Amino acid sequence: MADKTIVITRFDPDKDQAPRKQEYKVPCEPDWKVLDAINFIKDELDGSVAHRWSCRMAVCGSCGMMVNGEPKLTCKTSINDYGDRVDIEPLANFPIVRDLVVDLDGFMHKFQSVKPWIIRAKEKAADPIAARAALHPVKGTYSQSADQLATFKQFSMCINCMLCYAACPVVANEPEFLGPAAIALGHRYNMDSRDEGQGERNEIFRGEGTVFSCSYANECSEVCPKNVDPAAAVNQAKFGAVIDWAKNLVLPRGGA
Amino acid sequence: MRAFLLKIEPLIWLMFGQGILIGTMLLTGWILVVGLLIPLGMVDASALSYDRAYALATASLFGVIPVGKLVLAALLVLPLWKGAHHVRSLHVDFGGAERDGIVGMLLYGVALVGSIVGILAVVGL
Repeated sequence: MADKTIVITRFDPDKDQAPRKQEYKVPCEPDWKVLDAINFIKDELDGSVAHRWSCRMAVCGSCGMMVNGEPKLTCKTSINDYGDRVDIEPLANFPIVRDLVVDLDGFMHKFQSVKPWIIRAKEKAADPIAARAALHPVKGTYSQSADQLATFKQFSMCINCMLCYAACPVVANEPEFLGPAAIALGHRYNMDSRDEGQGERNEIFRGEGTVFSCSYANECSEVCPKNVDPAAAVNQAKFGAVIDWAKNLVLPRGGA
Repeated sequence: MRAFLLKIEPLIWLMFGQGILIGTMLLTGWILVVGLLIPLGMVDASALSYDRAYALATASLFGVIPVGKLVLAALLVLPLWKGAHHVRSLHVDFGGAERDGIVGMLLYGVALVGSIVGILAVVGL
């Protein structure tokens, strides 16, 4: 057990003009994650500290914060990897709501803008045998091979923790930039063999502040806790958007 | 100006990508040969004599496809666009987003002039 000084960014929009720092002495156990230290502060030292967390096993994506200036999932980061003084701030590049809690509205809007659902020109007709067995109308199913799944599975592992937005130098400069996770999500649907919405999404991807605003810093993939590799998704999405652009140039009406 | 740049971005990105490919594959080999292997005596310096280099540059496939000139033009043109695009991205990363339009036009302008000069030089071989 080692006493550490945990420095938490505090901000109460009703009282504070700007975020301020507050120090807490925390007796850290050897197996503690950063989140355990923050929970200790909240439970034992100062109940007014506000922070988001839920699952404690790196699947919910709620507890992303800046630990000593780096975006980290605090439930996945050992407190004892750091020295006697650990600085904990809300995720960079997001507006602060209170203390360590950031505003997600802009992020959610970006997520929806890439149409993250399967788009089809026409629903597949039901398999007549399956429909008879079910005794009611059922939609057709779309089988997918393991190879087809492998083309996008990695990009579907995102837990929306937003660490990549906190790390991205382009988001820091242009807050309206669509950003790594949203582009990776759009690309995930573009790669899905069941999807027919590539044209629509590629048109979004060719707009202002999307794939071509990326400046290849690769920071998103460095910080991603789920190895989604959003930088690869962004650059594959660029290629897809370019090919689509060239096709539209040669065959303006899709060859029809 | 930014709107115009956005419109031609797919084309620029395509040349940028090919520029990286050529820059890393061919120029690395060039630096290896000229910078290391020839000074170390592992490759005979006469391998790059004017006559041989000229013969390579003007080589053609089946007497009609000027392969040497095409490769030379790609070597001159594509890395220029790659460089212009990289410097533009770097400039934005260093906080120049609001000047991006004018800086982008300037950089691509230099690349365009360089491309024209390069292609004319290659055609005139």
